[in-house]
Amino acid sequence: MKRGGFLIGTISGLTVAAKADSFFASALAQPLLPGLPGGVDERVLVIVNLQGGNDGLNTIVPHGMQPYYRYRPTLGIPANDVLQINDKVGFNPEMRSLKGMYDAGNVAIVQGAGYPQPDHSHFRSTEIWQTAAPERFESTGWIGRFLDSAELPPANLFNAVAVAPVLPEVMVSRKTDVPAIAALQGYGLASDRRADTRSAFASLVHDDRVPFRSPYLATVAEIEDHAQRGSEELPKLVAGYTPSGAYPATAIGRSLSLAAQIVGSRLGTRVIYVQHGSFDTHAGQKPTQDRLLRELSDGLKAFYDDLAAHGNDKRTLTITFSEFGRRVAENGSRGTDHGEAAPMFLVGGGLKGGLYGEHPSMDTLDNGDVKYTVDFRSVYATVIEKWFGRPTTGIIAGSFPTLSLLA
Amino acid sequence: MNPDATFRPAGALPASPLAPYAGPWNARLAAHLLRRAGFGGSPADVTRLAKLSSSDAVESLVRFPSTAALPASPELVDDGGMAMQRPVDMTEDQRKALARTRREQELANIEWWMNRMVASPAPLQEKMTLFLHGHFATASGTKGIYGTDIVDQNNLLRGYALGNWRALTHAIVRDRAMLKWLDNARSVKAHPNENMARELMELFTLGIGNYTEQDVRESARAFTGYTFTRRTGQFYFNAAQHDDGPKIFLGQVGDFNGDDIVDIIFKQPACATWFAGKLLAFFVYSDPEPELVDTVAALIRKNDYNMAPVMSTLLRSQVFYSERAYRALVKSPVDFVIGSYQLYGIGQVDPSVVPVMRRMGQLPFHPPSVKGWDGGAQWLNTQTLLARENFSSALLASPAMAPGKTWLLEELPSSGTVATQKLVGTILQGDASPAASVRITAYLDGTGTSADAALSVENFEERMRGAAYLTMAMPAYQLS
Repeated sequence: MKRGGFLIGTISGLTVAAKADSFFASALAQPLLPGLPGGVDERVLVIVNLQGGNDGLNTIVPHGMQPYYRYRPTLGIPANDVLQINDKVGFNPEMRSLKGMYDAGNVAIVQGAGYPQPDHSHFRSTEIWQTAAPERFESTGWIGRFLDSAELPPANLFNAVAVAPVLPEVMVSRKTDVPAIAALQGYGLASDRRADTRSAFASLVHDDRVPFRSPYLATVAEIEDHAQRGSEELPKLVAGYTPSGAYPATAIGRSLSLAAQIVGSRLGTRVIYVQHGSFDTHAGQKPTQDRLLRELSDGLKAFYDDLAAHGNDKRTLTITFSEFGRRVAENGSRGTDHGEAAPMFLVGGGLKGGLYGEHPSMDTLDNGDVKYTVDFRSVYATVIEKWFGRPTTGIIAGSFPTLSLLA
Repeated sequence: MNPDATFRPAGALPASPLAPYAGPWNARLAAHLLRRAGFGGSPADVTRLAKLSSSDAVESLVRFPSTAALPASPELVDDGGMAMQRPVDMTEDQRKALARTRREQELANIEWWMNRMVASPAPLQEKMTLFLHGHFATASGTKGIYGTDIVDQNNLLRGYALGNWRALTHAIVRDRAMLKWLDNARSVKAHPNENMARELMELFTLGIGNYTEQDVRESARAFTGYTFTRRTGQFYFNAAQHDDGPKIFLGQVGDFNGDDIVDIIFKQPACATWFAGKLLAFFVYSDPEPELVDTVAALIRKNDYNMAPVMSTLLRSQVFYSERAYRALVKSPVDFVIGSYQLYGIGQVDPSVVPVMRRMGQLPFHPPSVKGWDGGAQWLNTQTLLARENFSSALLASPAMAPGKTWLLEELPSSGTVATQKLVGTILQGDASPAASVRITAYLDGTGTSADAALSVENFEERMRGAAYLTMAMPAYQLS
């Protein structure tokens, strides 16, 4: 853990980018995977976690598949209301904004995403999607492993940012300290308002001439230092950014607005995590899911309008995931229980929009659930290889075909 | 984070790591014992144990006094009998009211346990209960685990904290919260659910590599019919749904039931090794050497899984008091928060601490998965450390810290130097550099800043609070 080579005053977008170049030099010296246009090191991935298990069948609605209406006597969305993509599937009517972006070619939908032997527990399945390890317990997230392997500048406090109250498992890494920032307000040391306390803190957290040895001492000192400097610096670093247009006054709107601010401030950030939910609609599903999908759709529209106004839409790829879809048959409470496969959305100015993967069969179910047709690790592998230009070795165990939705 | 960091302490293992420690005994080591075998204790607790012999100090924790004066369960939030109704029969308003009641009960449960940890005269019992909660990790508020399901499980763990862990495992596979959590309550002969059988071996007793998928399937059959009755919540063996046919499990053949499975597992050498590794990483240091793990595993086997003598030996051992083990663990959020309450003699947690625990990454009764909390470096990131510092800040400013209520604000210190000695001595057991003490003294004396006057009767409370905050922000205070 190196520290001391990093001066507070030099953390501006330009300096970090210049620093980044030298650190990226070794990474770039390796041949990049083919088919990638330039500027890979400027690319940002935004991950949206739809927490609680989003009902995929009422998100991308299989209006052309008759069993859907048999299984969903009250929750089924009439074909006339569906924002149709083709004679088989279409968007939930609340997702007008995203449908508009789809029509403009900026949204890819991966149908039937899931994994073998699906787990129906929120905890375990969330862990599986975040660690990309269905067959074992893994203590780092797939993004965490990507960050560790990507040779990012260790001095940058913002290589990745989680817009969340606690660090999500997907960003847990061995080498990269990822700050979790729920909002700029409240991200800071309450005591920092006093200058003498602030300066004493800055020197005391480096107390390493201590009368004991601990394998954790350097790590604690480093992260305390990051906590103080990062929470002090971030608001200043992003202060120069003015959002273009208004975001919806929702939690996801605020999270995405902060994400756009971080992307636009060019801090060298490669991955941003945001979350939205809860989609755990066991009872009275319609009003809750409709609202959440509308907030997601409108939030993403505002996000990409803002990114585009600042010229950042092509370097920002957004993907959504949820721990599972929901049971095909609605339950007795006008809700749905935990299920299996569901669609994932990929959004961005640099992708080939459209439908990918097969919609799961509604005729042959797996114990009442739709079976996955695309392993979600194919989507992750696509992001790692085609978006970031890195090999998946050490990040995703096993080999998964990439999708042709990028470049 | 440190590239390729291993958090095993540098240096070599002593020849007889479990031989009794015979070196000098002082307040610094008594505080080490209290941090590990409890949550840190009050300054008076440290002084009291320092006056005993090291051996008697450990015995006072292992053979603890009665805890009958503490509330045995949280207050029950009245749900008007709603929990017994089927969700389909409820109106939207009733469902919302039930969800609210459940959240209130969750908060009451967490507060109840945290208050026990703060005030119990048996800190090792609570610390072992916390270990077991992370080991047999079960989360409430999900999978139908509501009300006092998790409290009943917690009391089960507490009862066996220093008891026999084979007997505990027999009880855990009959525990209502566990049967719900790992989906065994509905595991029936025709469709065995493998979840509990798998986690029992993978996470609770053996570890991956010490059983096969076939063992998972066969033991899942053995656990069919292990359920509970809805009315009383008591364990119920549903013989009609139990698969009583022959099974092949870990090389043995028989018409095994779930209890036979537990007994067979505990005869495997790997079982004691599994517990030994986790105990060492929790109580001694991270990533313990395989030889040390084997030595502790042999101790566990020799004591037939009776944990009081095992803990007694471990907490008196050379390895436990070695320089390599000292401050070699990261305090968990529970250690940090409960220890801070005890440090200042505050007997009860403030309800506002619950969301703070979540921000720090460890909300009791809400482990992130059945694997529990990873601990170690996983406790450390900018957000969790900001949450720790802001907790300290709020605690020091709280009404519980008024003058006359805590040693911190007794009287105007005779000098900044004297006050620093007291702070560094009491909060860090002297584990700071001379330069750091000089810096704290300067803060107290107001030197080096133009705005501040010398330490006085008007400003000493604020200065002492500020200096205590800074001392708690130092790396040593994050370490156990």
